[in-house]
Amino acid sequence: MNRRKFLKATAALGGALAMPSLIKSAQAADSVKLGCLFSSSGTMANIEGRLSAVVKMAADELNAKGGVLGKKVDVLVTDPASDWPLYAQLGRQLLQQEKAAALFGCWTSVSRKSVLPVVEQSNGLLFYPLHFEGEENSKNVVYMNSPPASSVLPALEYLMSKDGGEAKRFYMLGSDYVWPRTINKICKGFWKSKGFAETAWKEEYVPFGFSNFQTIVNNIRKFAAEPGGQPIIVLTVVGSSIPDFFKEIINQGIKATDIPVLGLDVLEADLEGLDTAPMVGHLNCWAYLQNVEAPANAAFKTNWANYVTKNSLPYKKDTIIDPMVSAYDGVHMWALACEKAKSTEVDAVRAAFDGVSFDCPSGYKISMSGENNYVKRGVFIGSVNDQQAFDILWKSEDTPKPVPFSPYA
Amino acid sequence: MTAILESISREIQGKGGPARRGLAAERLAGMLVVAALAILVAGTQGLMSPYVVNLIGQVATFGMLAIALDLIWGYAGILSLGHGLYFAIGGYLIAMHLVKVAYLQTGTPPDFMLFMGWDSLPFYYAGLENFPYALALIVLISGGVAFLFGLISFRSRVSGVYFSIITQALVFVAMLLFFRNDTGFGGNNGMTGFTTLLGWPIAAPETIAALSAASVLAAAASLYVCARIVRSRLGHMLVAIREDESRLRFLGFETLWIKIAAWVISAVIAAIAGMLYVPQVGIINPRVLSPELSIEIAVWVAIGGRGTLVGAFAGAILISTLKVVLTASAPELWPFILSLLVIFVVVLLPNGLLDAPAALRGWLEWRRQRAAS
Amino acid sequence: MKRWVLAMLRLSVFMAAGAGWLAAPARADGDARASIVDRLCTRETEARIAAVDELLAGVARKEIAADWGAAIIGAAGDASLKCGEGGVRVIAKSGRFRDPLTLADVSESSAKLAAPFVNLRVRAAYEMAGGLLLLITAPASPLAAKAADDLQKHAGIANLDALQMAVEAQPSPDLAGRLQAIAAFRALRHPDLERRIAAIGKLADDPTERNRTALLDLQGDKTAAGDPKVAAALAASIASIDRWLQFSRLMATVYSGLSYASILFMAALGLAVIFGLMGVINLAQGELIMVGAYTTYLVQEAIRAAAPGILDLYLLIAIPIAFCVTALVGVLMEITVIRHLYRRPLMTLLATWAISLLLINLVRVFFGTQNLEFVTPAFLSGGERIVGDFIVTYNRLFAIVFALGILIAALIILRRTKLGLFIRAVTENRDMAGCVGVSARRVDVLSFGIGSGLAGLAGLALSPIYTVNPNMGTNFIVDAFMIVVLGGVGSLIGTLIASVNIGMINVIIEPAYGAVAAKVIVLLLIIIFIQFRPEGLFAPKGRR
Repeated sequence: MNRRKFLKATAALGGALAMPSLIKSAQAADSVKLGCLFSSSGTMANIEGRLSAVVKMAADELNAKGGVLGKKVDVLVTDPASDWPLYAQLGRQLLQQEKAAALFGCWTSVSRKSVLPVVEQSNGLLFYPLHFEGEENSKNVVYMNSPPASSVLPALEYLMSKDGGEAKRFYMLGSDYVWPRTINKICKGFWKSKGFAETAWKEEYVPFGFSNFQTIVNNIRKFAAEPGGQPIIVLTVVGSSIPDFFKEIINQGIKATDIPVLGLDVLEADLEGLDTAPMVGHLNCWAYLQNVEAPANAAFKTNWANYVTKNSLPYKKDTIIDPMVSAYDGVHMWALACEKAKSTEVDAVRAAFDGVSFDCPSGYKISMSGENNYVKRGVFIGSVNDQQAFDILWKSEDTPKPVPFSPYA
Repeated sequence: MTAILESISREIQGKGGPARRGLAAERLAGMLVVAALAILVAGTQGLMSPYVVNLIGQVATFGMLAIALDLIWGYAGILSLGHGLYFAIGGYLIAMHLVKVAYLQTGTPPDFMLFMGWDSLPFYYAGLENFPYALALIVLISGGVAFLFGLISFRSRVSGVYFSIITQALVFVAMLLFFRNDTGFGGNNGMTGFTTLLGWPIAAPETIAALSAASVLAAAASLYVCARIVRSRLGHMLVAIREDESRLRFLGFETLWIKIAAWVISAVIAAIAGMLYVPQVGIINPRVLSPELSIEIAVWVAIGGRGTLVGAFAGAILISTLKVVLTASAPELWPFILSLLVIFVVVLLPNGLLDAPAALRGWLEWRRQRAAS
Repeated sequence: MKRWVLAMLRLSVFMAAGAGWLAAPARADGDARASIVDRLCTRETEARIAAVDELLAGVARKEIAADWGAAIIGAAGDASLKCGEGGVRVIAKSGRFRDPLTLADVSESSAKLAAPFVNLRVRAAYEMAGGLLLLITAPASPLAAKAADDLQKHAGIANLDALQMAVEAQPSPDLAGRLQAIAAFRALRHPDLERRIAAIGKLADDPTERNRTALLDLQGDKTAAGDPKVAAALAASIASIDRWLQFSRLMATVYSGLSYASILFMAALGLAVIFGLMGVINLAQGELIMVGAYTTYLVQEAIRAAAPGILDLYLLIAIPIAFCVTALVGVLMEITVIRHLYRRPLMTLLATWAISLLLINLVRVFFGTQNLEFVTPAFLSGGERIVGDFIVTYNRLFAIVFALGILIAALIILRRTKLGLFIRAVTENRDMAGCVGVSARRVDVLSFGIGSGLAGLAGLALSPIYTVNPNMGTNFIVDAFMIVVLGGVGSLIGTLIASVNIGMINVIIEPAYGAVAAKVIVLLLIIIFIQFRPEGLFAPKGRR
């Protein structure tokens, strides 16, 4: 935010406080509201904050084409400040007070779980842009990203293949919460089904925001040197722990060719502060990677760069991450469903999801079926390159059918 | 500047001590009882949206929390930076009760059991589906923890900022423990997915209204109780401890038990606030144990005015309402407003916003005097 | 990787002039070069690995020039070897285009070019070959030790002939020994009994967990280890490795403990000065650390813009600047807010909390929330393997040395300067110091500034270790307070001893019970300790 914008915001606040009503009420009568629940402060701010801007950008695109059903789309941005109960509170406010037609929000599983009862009680619609642990299928949540069966297992299979280094031993390092624990449970079930013994893996959890990885990396080196075959690290730490972990393994001289890291939550944005030359070859898996070559991606990249410049946002113009694209897809798919249903009512929109499809920047035509609220996405395995991004190592043939409930869990 | 401040504080101390404040608190408590009835009627008859009713209930629990802190900080001069611990004890126990009830009713195990691969709830959930037992546990555990901690710390005469830092460390330790999934409290996700409270569906407008009214009533009750305490002999002793504990001991008073008594009462009020808060917000997780939340409680008290009960309550209501409104309508500016407000109040209004009129009068008086001389 | 290639290119000039035996066959290997480059351009894993092996074999037979090999492997590894339709091949790097066969400059190609994706197996082969070729072309290079370490990890796929060549070319006996150990790793199952025993002995010279595993593996193999002489050699080697490994683990624990202690110490030092002197709890201490880190970042960016040549030195240049900027922020805090609150210590706590919130959000508004990107200077990246698996990482070594430096500087200021005398006087007895003419007000401002400046230096020293973003400060605050309280208010030595103790206890508990439990146990220990000694390890002598 530059000074001018800051002053403007200050003035806006003065106005907001002066008004008797809680929220700016000076909105056109024929508008439809979308709510954003992304933290722009607190621990998640680094990566989550930019999603609000993406939703606004997508809404601008809709408005440029005449809005949805002829109505202007207004985006209400909130800041739950990485405080999970505040997500629920603000969600309630957006749905019940503001009558938002749909919510776009949450990054961590815990924030989604916190909002879940709220959207279910008030029959709202939450578009959730993250890949997550699965094992959930609420009719009030649209799961924009892939459940683990479609993304994590192909990546593991690759690492266990000859070209991936024939991984035989697994060090699971995660932040201590539901997503890493469930993912690791699924992984363990998967390895068991492949005939691995329990001694082939080790599990460790660190608290949120943990940063001192020296001892853990020492342990990993010890684990890696023990007999039994090629080790890999399945990394499910989140937030600021990701760059801290990578800094430590670089300094202790671990390269992708000794112990590859499959960083399940590692995004282009996590590499922003790192010299990635010594980490080339580590892997991740998402439904979108910045380096995808597709016309829709080129357009998205240009739009984002322009949007950042125009609004002088404090984000890098050329860093694009999967959840941004997922949030963007979400807005457009919501709009398509509204047009199809000729209404913005939640029940009608939900019924209209069946068969809605959209040209995602990932190059796939993503779609929804009436079976569940999951979006069918393509999947990529990425490999870190020396330009703080991921080269595409593997991509799915088509958009695999999402399996919310993993057979391995 | 210092001169202004001194004249301000003279002004404030001149008029009405704890006794007068106690009376104000009792009047406010009476008003709150009426308000609680109004909420109950308005909520059940659909005159007020459930959202607003629910919000009032939540804010009332914060008010209780502030009253609890004010009792020990404002009157006994003991600043706890860890009152979130007692709030969380109440919150977690009621959440365990609700989770157990939901599990027994629906047969769906809570999430954390699923991803931890557990077949049954840990042993300490035993019997918690029984509400009176849960309520008794809340009082016993919060009071017991407070008693133990108070006994140890006050006996070794840890005081002042040291005590504050230790309470902060303790709440931090508790947060680390509760963040762990293997401790059986749902880890970082905490607990959610509540269905019924005492047989009432938790999302029904009637339940929301009842909970909200109960919170306002509980706030009224704690205001009343604390007001009676500060006007009693115990209250005077507390103020004496704040002013000069050594002298009091030298005069032959045993301050230990007085401090512990106030400390335990404060903790139990905080725990009951937590108990009322959690069913209304629908989730509890270790964030309530973060040191920041505990500092925020102290901020409410300081902004409203400590040592006045009414001020603490008002501070909590003001700041938490502002937070809800501004994190939605001006999320970029909320942290700036909060921090500047705190700095402003702390530096210029040592006794909080409640004394702003008095401070203003004092300042005008001081100017008049200066002009005259 | 970039540095490698540059160094290789520079060295290759020497090599071409000095070692005629390398240049001579270079003329005859044209066909082999084309065949290798063609295969490196395929997407096939096996073909590329075979090409690497053939290249190394060719180098070992002195049919292929090693410096060319190093260049082409480097280019393939960092994806600057681009391949296009119809056999177009170019090495394109930082705007320069070269022919991969002759390494001569060529004009930019108009064909559509792409670098074949390097998967993990191929990358391992490239790293192995790159290491070997560096050791062959530039055995005395400062990068040789690093190359040997990399090579050790790929001992299983190393080309033995090229490895032999590297051993022979190696002037340093120590490095040559390590290379021989790599060769020994492959000779463990050699049919010749003597060579097998020699290899077993050789492995014991480099007592790593990996070598131990290899030996244990061999021990379990009854056909290879059946011979009593082999079995005896195995037992002796494993016992020796075990001893060294124990030692290396102890060293690693001590080092981890010291490095954690140095971080704690730096985070707590400024706090100790401020708290000790004024009884002010500065909850914005973590944010002052953050301000120091952001100042360091700005210095880095300024140098990048003004004098990119000395970019590696930005950390050193930033030392005085980070100190002054944070000290200034501290002085401003003192003058505007804290000065009015000296009689109300609990209120300073809230005021400084508000200041910390303000600082976090100001930084968030002006810099954004993303992690800052710091250049890791060459002298801080990586580490040195000392013994066994014990690695001294340079960034943590820097933190330890830096913490010691700060300690000494602070001690000198406090013990040897007039200001220090005043500070100590005011700490011990504020009123009495006032009576003898010390302006307590001035001393307060100055020492608040110094305490803040010290926090800024901590931010500087932590920037190579931790992620720098607006929230980084909040992680330190509880730890820092515990250190100060444990050490005894106002005692620098107490702060030091408390940090070292907590750091050590933490790393001792951590491997067994995990990081969280370690932290919980340590905090509980401190809480209990305070109950017995409310004034900390080193109680201040002054009256308060």
